Amino acid sequence: MLAFAGSSFAKDKASTNKVDIDLSRMSSTMVFSMVYQMVTTPEKFVGKTVKMKGAFSSYYDDEAQRRFFGCVIKDALACCSQGLAFETAKPRKYPSEYPSEGASITIVGTFEYEREEGEIGFPIIKNAKLFR
Amino acid sequence: MLDQLFFYLDFPFVRYAIIVGTLISLCSSLLGVTLVLKRYSYIGDGLSHVAFGALAIATILKASNNMFVILPITIFVAVLLLCGGKDTRIKGDAAIAMVSAGALAIGYLLMNIFSASANVAGDVCTTLFGSMSILTLQPTDVYLCVALSIIVLITFVLFYHKIFAITFDENFARATGVNVNLFNLIIAIIIAVIIVLAMNLVGALLVSALVVFPALSAMRVFKSFFTVTVAAAVISVVCSLSGILVAILAGTPVGSTIVGMDIIAFLICYITSCIRRRV
Repeated sequence: MLAFAGSSFAKDKASTNKVDIDLSRMSSTMVFSMVYQMVTTPEKFVGKTVKMKGAFSSYYDDEAQRRFFGCVIKDALACCSQGLAFETAKPRKYPSEYPSEGASITIVGTFEYEREEGEIGFPIIKNAKLFR
Repeated sequence: MLDQLFFYLDFPFVRYAIIVGTLISLCSSLLGVTLVLKRYSYIGDGLSHVAFGALAIATILKASNNMFVILPITIFVAVLLLCGGKDTRIKGDAAIAMVSAGALAIGYLLMNIFSASANVAGDVCTTLFGSMSILTLQPTDVYLCVALSIIVLITFVLFYHKIFAITFDENFARATGVNVNLFNLIIAIIIAVIIVLAMNLVGALLVSALVVFPALSAMRVFKSFFTVTVAAAVISVVCSLSGILVAILAGTPVGSTIVGMDIIAFLICYITSCIRRRV
């Protein structure tokens, strides 16, 4: 609980931001389909402010030597999951300033498509505010 | 709730799902009447499992469009099953059961051995139950589906009288000069196309429901081939549309929600027929 103390963790402040795509008010079927569209056709969504509710997930990529953070949602059958990576607006220390794995989170940020030279890109929510 | 519905309808993929869902349910219900009357109700299940196996092969081959692999394989097996005739050593239901279980097993085996994804269980689950497929269609999938559906509908309308004749009595149709083998071949091809399309809507395991339920529901209430076919088409389209809308509003799996609607329609028709018989 203390780990999340800070201005960006204030409850329900997420709803006050201007949001282009609000996934948090969609049904799970729609969220899953929408995230699929965002992952497969990211160019249509770049620059839009996205709000998403899901489970917190993180993993360390040895090759990139970087820890990725994600907001993950399951489909209606709960056999598949989709997620979007996010990067917080203010750098945080891991793990102390992040939620525990699987904890319910809401993120609000700008949808971007990150591509490093010669590599396949991936969608990511940048400048994200993280809410419980 | 209406606000929410209109909000969802703003997204192109929801509109694609509604267009494709309507066309698939319309096509499947038309042929469903023929299949039920010819006692081939279970062929949808067998062919959908074949399509699942073909999908696994397409995934391994990294086909640019899975449909180009799935469709020929499913059509080939449909022709074997429906046009094999009475002289084959493995007959009707046994052949369908063998093909059904065999294709399912081979498909799952291939998906596991040559896994192209980190979540094989998820891929298999989605393909079998059609959890989201209909809501993840790209415009090219929609165009292909619309084109195939139009071909199926035109073929059915053009050959309606011939299909009617061979549905009820193949020998009589043959005696009146109908090329029964040719029309059985056409029916087999159309059925294969419908099954492959319907896999997107309800998944491989639930395709049979899309073929059988509307026909059986219509048969409870109507008696002539024409009225049963029209009623089956209406019931199927209404159930699919309401199923898709309920699924996106309530967050339930699309395929099983559509089949749930088909079951409700069947129960309504069954009760209606019971009441009519007593009056």
